[in-house]
Amino acid sequence: MLKSINVPRHDRAPSPIPDTQASMTRQDITNNNWEEALTFVALQRDRSAYAELFNYFAPRLKAFGMKMFGNEQQALEMVQDTMLNVWKKAALFDASRGCASTWIFTIARNVRFDMLRKKQSRKDDVSADDLWLNGEYPEPEADNDASQWDTQLLMDKLAPHFTSLPPAQREVMEKVYLQEKTHQEVSDELAIPLGTVKSRIRLALDRLREALDGARN
Amino acid sequence: MAHAIKFHPGMSLLEQHAEGTLSADVALAVAAHIDLCPHCKQLSHDITTDLACQLAQQPVKSNTTDWQHMLNDIMAQPQLSKQAAATQAHLSAQAAEPIIVNQREFVVPRALQRLAANHGKWLHLGGIATAKLPAGNDYHVSLLYISKDTEVPQHTHLGLEMTLVLAGKIVDENGEYKAGDLLINSPDDTHTPRTMADEDCLCLSVLSAPLKFKKGLTRLLNPLQQFFY
Repeated sequence: MLKSINVPRHDRAPSPIPDTQASMTRQDITNNNWEEALTFVALQRDRSAYAELFNYFAPRLKAFGMKMFGNEQQALEMVQDTMLNVWKKAALFDASRGCASTWIFTIARNVRFDMLRKKQSRKDDVSADDLWLNGEYPEPEADNDASQWDTQLLMDKLAPHFTSLPPAQREVMEKVYLQEKTHQEVSDELAIPLGTVKSRIRLALDRLREALDGARN
Repeated sequence: MAHAIKFHPGMSLLEQHAEGTLSADVALAVAAHIDLCPHCKQLSHDITTDLACQLAQQPVKSNTTDWQHMLNDIMAQPQLSKQAAATQAHLSAQAAEPIIVNQREFVVPRALQRLAANHGKWLHLGGIATAKLPAGNDYHVSLLYISKDTEVPQHTHLGLEMTLVLAGKIVDENGEYKAGDLLINSPDDTHTPRTMADEDCLCLSVLSAPLKFKKGLTRLLNPLQQFFY
């Protein structure tokens, strides 16, 4: 698991590079986020917005591909295919339903899966479209999970189990439940999207529930 | 669904599924479970968000890849309209064709619909019927139909056996399983699944090796192994 401390905010471009040649659009994007960049690509065929996205995500997708394939040629094929899908199908991205990074990740995962199946020449068989609802990320329901928990109970029963959580989830839980920060504050502090904060809390609560059940049995 | 699903794939399988690192056949059973189980759907969504965030946050070294060339290649291609992109991504909802077996109709989860539409011939043996799905190399994937009041002979597993209940109910020595419940049996487990007098059952079965039948005459029935595998 990667540490989430002291890394630049992933859903925003790195700090603006001093560039007197920069167009208005470029400035706009650098000061905003990838969701907006993708929307520009979809609505205005904005090439500079796409170039920003590409320059940020392509090397990271390559690193992911290297880990998965262990081979540069296939990793690059995956990057090209993924980023081509991002370009061609930008119109399908819906910022109200999830982060840009999640959308791009799921495209890369599906591209990789289908590349592997194709290599095994199994055309009629299971495809990424069967396994993952394409372009569909169900909007998480309201934070029922978290609100069902009595805060005092959490402190007493759950805090001891925080140590068993993966570091990224533990960090979020400590900030929310021990330091009583809001989700937005945690999102800003850790430079991760709000949706990811909520996701990590739900994952942590599920693990803690398992830990408690385990202790009871 | 009126009842709560009790048997889930567990965090580790969900994580591997979200990563895309499970073998296709096992992933298919997990994906079909997720279609039936709102709890695992939410977890799966959260895991995906978390993984994507890790991907996006990883530091990268500058390298020698000719990114400019790739970028130009991509932007030379036309973009798709929303409608064209949706069609290509098979987003347009198609009415699911029901599966018919024993004069009964079943609608399978979304993940199985395309493959189930191309299922092999139903083979009947007593109250049990199986039909292969065109999936998998390491595992054998099939639909398994069990009529009311029928027992599957006691067996152990030479490999991993995953059974996802798609409709109806089965019981075995360990409990009762209804639609959405996922049973995972390892080589050490022996069980005798059966249906009750009032309800038949349709399952998805994923096997990594033939079953081995343990009791009496069924032990001698090699064809039975072939039937299930």
